[in-house]
Amino acid sequence: MPPWSEFEQFIVSGLALGGVYALSGVGLVVLYRATGVLYLAFGAVGAMGALLAWQVQQDGWPGWASWILCILFGALVTLLYGVIFGPALAGRPPVVRAVATLGLLLILLGAMEVIWTVSGGAVRSLSLPTDNGGFSLGNIQVDWTQVISLALGLVITVGTGAFLRFTKLGTAMRAMANDREITATLGVPVRRVEAAAWFGCGVLAGAAGLLLADQVQLDAATLTFLVISSLAAALIGRLQSITVTFVAALVVGLVHDLLTPINALTNYRDMTPFVLAAIALLVLSRGRQVMTQSREEG
Amino acid sequence: MLETTPGAAPDTALTSRRLLLRPEQPAQLSVAVVLVAFVLFALPFLMNGYYTGYMTLVAIYAVVALGLGLLVGRVGLYSLGQGAVVQVGAWTGARLLFATSQPFPIVLIEAGLVTMAIGILIGLPALRMRGLYLALITLMFAGAITVILATVNFPNGGGGFTGYNGNFSHIPPIRRPSIAGSDPAYFRYAVVVAIVMFILVYAHLITRPGRAWAAIRQSEPAALAAGINIWFYKLWAFALASFITGVAGAVLAGQARYLYSINFTTQDSIILLAVVLMGGAYSLWGAVVAALLQQLLPAWLQSLGVSYAWLTIVFGVGVLQVLTTAPRGLADQFPKDMRKLGGLLWRLARRGAGAGRGPGSAPAAPASSARSGGAA
Repeated sequence: MPPWSEFEQFIVSGLALGGVYALSGVGLVVLYRATGVLYLAFGAVGAMGALLAWQVQQDGWPGWASWILCILFGALVTLLYGVIFGPALAGRPPVVRAVATLGLLLILLGAMEVIWTVSGGAVRSLSLPTDNGGFSLGNIQVDWTQVISLALGLVITVGTGAFLRFTKLGTAMRAMANDREITATLGVPVRRVEAAAWFGCGVLAGAAGLLLADQVQLDAATLTFLVISSLAAALIGRLQSITVTFVAALVVGLVHDLLTPINALTNYRDMTPFVLAAIALLVLSRGRQVMTQSREEG
Repeated sequence: MLETTPGAAPDTALTSRRLLLRPEQPAQLSVAVVLVAFVLFALPFLMNGYYTGYMTLVAIYAVVALGLGLLVGRVGLYSLGQGAVVQVGAWTGARLLFATSQPFPIVLIEAGLVTMAIGILIGLPALRMRGLYLALITLMFAGAITVILATVNFPNGGGGFTGYNGNFSHIPPIRRPSIAGSDPAYFRYAVVVAIVMFILVYAHLITRPGRAWAAIRQSEPAALAAGINIWFYKLWAFALASFITGVAGAVLAGQARYLYSINFTTQDSIILLAVVLMGGAYSLWGAVVAALLQQLLPAWLQSLGVSYAWLTIVFGVGVLQVLTTAPRGLADQFPKDMRKLGGLLWRLARRGAGAGRGPGSAPAAPASSARSGGAA
C-alpha cells in the first residue's frame, strides 16, 4: 500500500472526472425520464464535437468560438435525432429505442474515423486555457479545469433539479416521465417538451465531450465509449434520481483514480464503473418494480 | 389448413405439426444442403488465401451471430457485450490448446462449456431483470470481462494459470487440428463446426425449448399461465447462446493462431448487434447474412481500397432503418422484396405480352408474404 501522499493528487483528478461523469449522467437521466430514450450516442456526439473544435482551432478560430461550436454541434445533432427518430420509435420498448441510438453512435464513429483518420501515432490533443492556471491545496495541485469540471457537475445537478421542480417546462417533463398519454391529454405539447429535453441533453453532451477530451484523451473511440462510465452512474441512480446519479458519478470517478497508485489493482481500475453498476443493479435494486418495467414491457 | 383434428392419423398430425413449425421447410432445406455442399467442396478451390481467411471468419461469426440472434429474437435480450463472450471462448480455447494435447473437438466442447458456465453465473442474477436493464447489465459485465482479459492477456504458451509470458521473443502459434492444418482445410473445419452448431440450435427451436421461447416472446404472462418456467427457459437460451459462442471463440483461436486483447473492441460488440439486427434476428439465415455483412463485406471493400469506417456508417444507418421500418431484418425483407419485385415484373410482362387476361391470378406474392408475416 503506497503512502497517503500518493493518493492526494488522485482525489482531485478523481473528483474532476466524477464531475464530468455527473454532468453526463444527469443529462442521460433527464432525457430518459422525459422521452424514455436512453441516449447511448451521448459520448459519440461529444467526441465529434470535440474533434470539430480541435479542427477549427487548427484553422485559426479563437478558442471560445470552437467551444461554442462543439456544444452547438452536440445540441443540434441530438435535437435532430430526437425530432426524427423520437416519434418514429415512440411505441417501441425502451430497449429498442436505446439500441436505435447505437445506430447514431456507429454513424458518428464511422464519420469521425473517415474525417480524422488515426495514422501512425499522430496524437491530437485539445487543451483548455484553464489547464495552466490553478492553486495549491496543501501538497495538491488543482487546476481550473478540474475546478470547472466538479463545479459544472454540481451546478448542472442542482440546476436541473431546480429546473425540473420549479419551471413549467420541468414540470411538464416530470409529468411525461410519469405518464405520457395523460400528459398529452392535459394539453402539454409533448413533442415540444421532448425536443427541449433532447436539446438540453445535447448541450450537456457537447460540454462533456470538451471536458473529457481535455482530461482524458482526444480520441474518437475512447470518448465514445466513456459514456459507459456515466451510464454506470445513471444506472446506480436507477435512471430516476439525479441526486443519486451525481453522488454515484463522484464515487465512480474517485474510486477509479484512487486505484491508480495501488500496483495490484491499477490495471483493473477501468472496471470500477462496471463493477459498481453491476453490484448496484443486482443487490441494491432487488425486487424493485422499476427494474422489471412490467408496465412498459409486460 | 394446418389444423390437426383429433381423429387424424398420428403421422398426419405429425406432418401438419411440422408444417406449422416450418412452412417453407423443404425448399429451405434443399437450398441449405446445396449451399453447404458448395461451400465445403467447391468454395475452397475458388478462393485465394485472402478470402479463405475471411470466409473462415464468416463461418465462425455466423455461429456468434446465431447465438446473439437467439438471445435477441427468442428471448428479447439485446446483449451489448457478445464480443466479450467470444473473448472468453477464445481465451479458454487458446489456454487449453497450449496446456493440453487433447483432440481439437474436445477442446472446442470444453471451451463452450466453460463459457456456458460463466454465462450461467452471470445469467442467474441478471435474468431477474428485463428489457433495457438486462441489456445494460450485459454491457457492464462485458466491460468488466474485457478489462480483466486485457490485463491477464491472452495465452501465448507461457506457464501458470494465465499462460502468458511477456518475455517471449518467439511466440508459438496456437495449434490447429492435425486434419486441418492448412487454411483451406481449417476453413472446411470451421464450416463443419458451424453446421453442427446450427443443427444444435435448430434442434432446440423445433422442440420444447423453442416453443417455450416463442411463447415467452409473445407474452410472458401468457407463457407463465401456460405453466412455462420463464426464468428457466431464459437461462437455457442464455446458456445455449454462451455455449455456441464459446465454441466459436475457440475456433477463432485456431484461426487467428496469435491472440491479442487489442483485437477485441467494444465497437465490435456494437457492430455485432447491428449486423444481427440487419441480418434478421428471427431466422437462421439471418445469422449467415450477419456474418457475411460483418466479415466478408469489409474484406471485399478493403481489397477495393475503401476504409472500414464507411462500413461503420452503413451499419449505423442499417440499424436505424431496420428498427424503424423492417424489424425482421434482411433475411426476411429481401425475399419479400424479391417476391414483390417478381410479382411486379410478372404482371408487367403479362401486360406487355398483351394476352388480355385479367390480373386476378397474379397476386401470389402478397399471399405468401402475408403467410410468413403471420407465422411470427
